[in-house]
Amino acid sequence: MSKLLKIALGIFTSIGGFLEVGAIATTAQAGAAFGFRLIWAVVLGTICVIFLVEMSGRLAAVSRHTIKDALRERFGPRIFLLTLVSDGVINLLVLAAEIGGMSLALQLVTGISFRWWAVPVGFLTWLLLWKGSFSLIENGVSLLGMVAVAFLVGAVMLDPPLNAMVRGAWPSLPTERPVHYWFTAVSILGAAISPYLFYFYSAGAIEDHWDEDEIGVNRAVATVGMSFGAILAIAVLVVAAMVFHPHGIEPERYEQVALLLTSPLGRWGFYLFAATLLVSCLGAALEISLATAYSFAQGLGWNWGEDVRPRDAARFSLVYTVMIALTSLLMVAGIDPLKLTLFSMALTSLTLPIVTFPFLILMNDRDYVGEYGNHWIGNLAVIAISLLASIIALVAIPLQLMGG
Amino acid sequence: MEVGRQILDQQLVDKTGLGVGKVDGIMLELRNGAAPRISAVLTGGHLFARRLHPRLERWARRLTRNWGPGKPEPLRIPWSKVMKIGVDVKVDIDAADAMPWEHWVRDRIIGRIPGSGS
Amino acid sequence: MTIREVPLEQLLGRVVRTAAGRPVGCIEEVRVRPDGNDYVVDEFVIGELGFLAKLSAMVAQLPTLKALGLPGRYRTRAIPWSWLDLSDFERPRFRSAVPDEDRKPSSPA
Repeated sequence: MSKLLKIALGIFTSIGGFLEVGAIATTAQAGAAFGFRLIWAVVLGTICVIFLVEMSGRLAAVSRHTIKDALRERFGPRIFLLTLVSDGVINLLVLAAEIGGMSLALQLVTGISFRWWAVPVGFLTWLLLWKGSFSLIENGVSLLGMVAVAFLVGAVMLDPPLNAMVRGAWPSLPTERPVHYWFTAVSILGAAISPYLFYFYSAGAIEDHWDEDEIGVNRAVATVGMSFGAILAIAVLVVAAMVFHPHGIEPERYEQVALLLTSPLGRWGFYLFAATLLVSCLGAALEISLATAYSFAQGLGWNWGEDVRPRDAARFSLVYTVMIALTSLLMVAGIDPLKLTLFSMALTSLTLPIVTFPFLILMNDRDYVGEYGNHWIGNLAVIAISLLASIIALVAIPLQLMGG
Repeated sequence: MEVGRQILDQQLVDKTGLGVGKVDGIMLELRNGAAPRISAVLTGGHLFARRLHPRLERWARRLTRNWGPGKPEPLRIPWSKVMKIGVDVKVDIDAADAMPWEHWVRDRIIGRIPGSGS
Repeated sequence: MTIREVPLEQLLGRVVRTAAGRPVGCIEEVRVRPDGNDYVVDEFVIGELGFLAKLSAMVAQLPTLKALGLPGRYRTRAIPWSWLDLSDFERPRFRSAVPDEDRKPSSPA
């Protein structure tokens, strides 16, 4: 496969991974409540995730290990288990949110309650993993995810004020409702810096048999892919800022968020929103389930692989099967998907240092990455942003829970 | 060579490169008047649980007493069967002997779901 | 001659004491060298005691902090295999023949 084609496909996959229910819900909230003033959160989150995604690809290419594999080898069972549990719990919540997102998309279009859709949607997700191959999932769903460009079109059509957008891209303190401001900021950070994203990416690099030759490709894919995903997320924020903010509307439910695209795009906007929600969440659901199964398998030494028949990677397949079953049932129980999404994104921010700090130690360890170790800028950026996100989350989450 | 860093917790592979588990334990043979030597590597069983906390191992044993592959002991691979230590630890064993849990899950659960690839 | 075997993974992290019972550190690593077809233990790496010492050792590995030289170096020293009595692997001890001043971890890593 030519280098260019590889890069193109990788970019599409990254976009597909970036924009999912978390990114949509958090940026829509941000735009509605605070106009353009939280664009900086998207920018900061994107910078951090670009570094992390590139690192995970580099680790896989040079050391032939995935992150979780290397975490256990380098730090031992206890630290590995800590990251496994922390990721596992959050992944469960986020997966439930994604299944909720898909179910809601179908509710928007059919009028039938999302609780009825949870099981069929879960089954579809499971079937794709059970029967599909890695390339089918990687490429197919992310190509379909291009429907999210509707947001970009909508944003452009609304003709937003560019100077306000640029000002919003620079961090600023809130002028009102500080708790809500910071809670929304950490939700955006958590949506952008999703650990399952780079765990999935490193497993993909191994499944695609990357080596040192791929390092340049890796850098291009990570940067361009994530940036493009960020542009789409900012587009959602802009549309919400233009459509909801002037009227002081803050969406409490996804049905209201769906109205986002009807203003610029009319009736089609409604259906495009539903389609975007459905496909983005499907892609994310597949990635999260796989990422969790990878975490168990790679750390505990089980067989794993999406191209492998379920029989040949039985425990691996069991993990994603159980995960999808549990989260579908959670959604049948009727938990509010929007609230769940925002909360799980904020939790992700809180636990970022647990995820990133051991990973950074690996990325500077010659035994694993040889001469391809991290540049100090990457180290500093990831440490600083992880700490920042975690500290703000530590303060904002309890306050939001008490007040909200 | 540092055992903790380079042998323990590494991936075990058989002659063909197929994964057969992780190095969960290493046996040291104590000798009178001579340095201790590595006699075997071990994988599976409840070694992972024991390294986390001894109580966890007892709990895991009780849980798996009534269901599971029924062979709670780890697989012992004599040092003579270790062929190479590099990115992975290559050992001369039969993959079918390792990973009883994998086979159990395959036969009792995954294999029974249609489309698993039989 | 009875063959005694001890699980090496259980040795890592155990507190090492003098023959009299005073704790001096914990086993961080076991270094081995090839001897024919075998691998034999060459030395044990002993590190500092205490939760805070270990925590700062972990944190100090973070790249940026390492470059800045914070928070201080974690001291380890290597001792020859013959100095340790492993017959009770949960309680490794120095053999009584080891001179006292040599037992304290002293040099930086």
